Formats: sequence, structure tokens, C-alpha cells
Amino acid sequence: MRRIYCAALLIAIAAVPANARAGELKSFVRGSWRSIIANHSGEPIIVHFWGLTCGPCRQEMPEWGKLLAETPDLCLVTVNADMIEDAPEAVQDFLAESGLSRAENWTFDDSFAERLRYEVDPKWQGEIPVTLLIGRDGATRRIEGVAPMAEIRSWFEDAGRTGKADP
Amino acid sequence: MMLKLHVVVFALAAFAGSGAVVAQMAHDHHEHKGRETCLDLSLACASTAAPAFGPDGALWIAARVSNQIFVAKSRDHGQSFTPSVVVTQPSVNLDTGADAGPKIVVDREGRAIVAYAILRDKKYNGQVFFTRSIDSGKTFSPPSPVTSDLESQRFAALAIDSDGAIFSAWLDKRNRAQANDGGEAYVGAGVAFAWSRDNGSHFAETRLAHEGTCECCRIGIGFASPGHPVVLFRNIFEGSVRDHAVMTFADRDAPGPIFRVSNDDWATNACPHQGPSLAVTSDGAYHAAWFTAGRARKGLFYARSLDGGKSFSAPTPIGDPDHAPSRPSLLEAGGKLWLAWKEFDGDRTSVLIMASHDNGENWSAPKAIATTTEDSDHPILVSDGPHSFLSWQTLKDGYRLIELEDAS
Repeated sequence: MRRIYCAALLIAIAAVPANARAGELKSFVRGSWRSIIANHSGEPIIVHFWGLTCGPCRQEMPEWGKLLAETPDLCLVTVNADMIEDAPEAVQDFLAESGLSRAENWTFDDSFAERLRYEVDPKWQGEIPVTLLIGRDGATRRIEGVAPMAEIRSWFEDAGRTGKADP
Repeated sequence: MMLKLHVVVFALAAFAGSGAVVAQMAHDHHEHKGRETCLDLSLACASTAAPAFGPDGALWIAARVSNQIFVAKSRDHGQSFTPSVVVTQPSVNLDTGADAGPKIVVDREGRAIVAYAILRDKKYNGQVFFTRSIDSGKTFSPPSPVTSDLESQRFAALAIDSDGAIFSAWLDKRNRAQANDGGEAYVGAGVAFAWSRDNGSHFAETRLAHEGTCECCRIGIGFASPGHPVVLFRNIFEGSVRDHAVMTFADRDAPGPIFRVSNDDWATNACPHQGPSLAVTSDGAYHAAWFTAGRARKGLFYARSLDGGKSFSAPTPIGDPDHAPSRPSLLEAGGKLWLAWKEFDGDRTSVLIMASHDNGENWSAPKAIATTTEDSDHPILVSDGPHSFLSWQTLKDGYRLIELEDAS
């Protein structure tokens, strides 16, 4: 069911032109992390934390867009965890430019970002990009920095399509 | 008890001057998600506040509220402030990065110089501006770019040399366009610098001190001796390793070689968003504190150099690794060396502090001297000469100035 939700979201937004502003941009506030994990329980997901002012992130985001285009059943969650107070419109525009309108997109919406990060990982001090590969069983692999797409694809082949736990 | 909480002052009083009445008070933010609904030009709504003491003992604060920076002064150690004077131009998009707060220095004649950065385009390229006051903070000059180059600048730092010359250093991407035109990938940024020899009226020619630094973190600056600045920054070493390096200038216009502070082996193509702190003590020792998530070590660390930065002591871990120790601030004053930092336990942010009486060889036990349960700025240590203070801007509890007192 959860998988269907994520897939249904992708289909619903698929008709949006690639350069159009992304549809829904959810506010990431206290409790949002728990909500994301609960909503996707039992489903392999990739959560990618990035930021508009992060140079490596900006270079990498179109690669995530390509991966999403090539992998329609990929459940990709992006979270803008930038250190500056990004305007939601700017976040949406960049997501759209990167081909990520179809992803499940969130943006930090609390100036107390330390608290938001703590809910994700108490040791996370804000470095981005960071990617979490979360298997059906909740096993999580953390990738800091620009993610090697070959590794991401390999993980998804194992944990995503076949239903295996995180290898 | 090594440290004693001596003075805790909240900015509460209102002033009726020739300008607007400004009340520096803590607001009730319980219904707010953050600072976006608090826009008064006062410390009550500021997200960041940089302190500096003037020669007359007045405390100056350069603070940011939304897209404006204002300056205010206090003659009673932060209990009350003069009316806020806005120093930024209207309709700018300020760089609000975690390490990108405004900087302020006050020279021995009481002239104040403020530096800050804007994000000037949709690609978040930055531009550093400065402004000064020569009338005790009543007015500030129209902001001027610190350099004519337009590529991108962020994280300007300011320091005043013994003869009054003002040294500024920042991260600068001026070589990016040239690299791109040549088909080369441009990674990171460079450390650029410029001097003002006319008391902050303008800054002379910009030069690059070093190319190939991390682009996302503040830098630390100080002076090894008159005319010899020291810059501490997160470098990009071979293999995309973002460890720290220090550089001592051979003279004012001659950057020196870089030396590695620590081999943390943080190989990452990511933005750490957390720069170091540097103090150069009166005996010439360099003291560095920094965050890393390297393969060799993770967390907050301190080390010192007794040979002008050529070598550093083994990194000493700082704080509770389970509480994300971060945002260090080092200061020498009154014959003591102080180190402050933040920790967060999931509910409460604390500022901890420790002192060294032997130039960083031994330290007192860490002690929490301030806490808050909502958003807060970096802790900043500042001195008026004989006394040392923690300066800390918080969302819920307002501005706090806490004198550090050594009871040992």
C-alpha cells in the first residue's frame, strides 16, 4: 500500500512539464521525520538531503532527476536541509529544473534546524548532501557527499525491486 | 568551581532617542516555527549577533533580522542598547548561512567597521560588503563591495593589526570563470584578502592567498605578529579531503605556505557548513578548534602549534560526542585561554566553556554556562581587555552577555 502511495504520487505528477515548478513541497518540521519513516514503513526508500547553496548538491541533483526518470518505481524523498532560509519557490524551481518534480519533496521549515537534524540523526551536524538508503526492514545505509549512482542503482536492484533487506 | 556565572544580562531596556524607540526584549515565540514572524529591528528578533568592544568599553553589536543588519551599542554590558541603526541597503538578499553572520571590529579611535555578504543571484553567488561609522555609531557609510570582482564571495572575516590597518579575508571564487572557460572543473573556492590602510574607508587591491579551499565554511583569522596575519580554513587536500590548514603571511602582501592542522581524513564532496576558530596567543602559539567527520576522527577537536603553525599537537576531543558538540570559539584574555562551544541533547542547547592557564596544555573541566530550548546563534567569546564574555544570541531568551570568571 505504501509503495502504491509513492508510485501513485509519481504518476499523478508525471504530466507536469520538466521545467515546471514542482507541485507539493512539504514543510519539514518537528515530527516530520517520524512521519516519513512511518508512511514508508516496509518499503525501500531513498531519502536525499540537499541544499540550494550547497555547490556539490546543485551539481548532483540533476543526476537524481535522471535516476528517477529511468526508475519510475523508485521511491525518492528529497529534503532541502539548507543552512540558509530558502524561499519555497526557489526550492520548487530548482527541483523542477533538476527533473525532480515527481519525487516526494520536503523543505526544512523551522529555524531551529539542529532540532530537525537531531530527529534524523543525533550526530548529524548539517553537512550535505547526505543520502539514506532505507531497506524494507529499516536497515539504513548512509552516504555522505555526492552519491555514486552506480551504488544507488545496485542498492535499488537488491533492496528495491527484489524486496530483499538492505544488503 | 573553575568558572562562575558572574553576569547574566538580558537585553531588555528600551531607549527613547532621536531615532525610533527600540525594545530589546525576548518575544514569546511559542506559536512560531522560527524567526520569520519576528521582524522588529532589535535583538529580540535577531538570528545572529556579532559583538565587539570599543576602546571606551562600549559593547557594539552587529545583528541580522531577516534581510537587514543593524548595529547597536551598549554601555552597561548588554543590559540596554542604543536605537538600532540599519547598515544594509534596502531589498538585498542577505547571506543567512549558518557561518555567514555579520562581522564587526572597532578600532582604537572608536571607528566601527562591519562586513557582511549578500546572495546576489539565483545561483547563490555571494558578494561581500563593508561599511563603517566614524561618529560613534550614529551613522554608517553606504555599503561598498570589498572587491570589484563579481564572481562570488562569502564568509568575510575582519581583524585589526597593531598599527590600525584592517585585514579582511574571505572565500572567493574569482578563478571559477577562467577555469570553466578552459574546460577545467572548478572545485571549492580560494582564500582572498585585502587591507584597508585608511581606517576602513576602502579596501585596497584583492589578492588570492590560496586556491582550493572548501567553499561552505567560515574562516578563522588572527595575527602572529604585527603585519603577519594567520588564516585557518578548511582546505581541500588530495582526494577531496576537507581537513584544516593554516597559513601565516610572510608580510602583509605575501601569503605563506599552508600547513595541515590535523589529518582527519574527511574525504567528502559535501558542504560541512561549519568552520574553525583560531586564537593566536600573546606568546605566538596558534590555537585551533574545528569540527570534522573524518575517517580518522569525528567530532569537535582542539590542537595548538608552538612553531608558527608548522606542526600541531595531537587533536584533543572536545565535548560530549553524543550531543553534537559544535561551533567553537577561542579567545585569549587576561592571561587565560578560553574555549566555548554548543551542544544539543534533543531538547536543550547548552553553551559549554573551559579555560586553560598554561596556554592550552591543560584545560578545566567543561562547564555549561547558558542554555536555551529554541534556536540560537553560535557562541562567540569577546573581551574588553581585562574581562572576557560569552556573547550569545537566542530566539527564546534574547541576547545574553555572560562574563567568564575563573574561580580557581
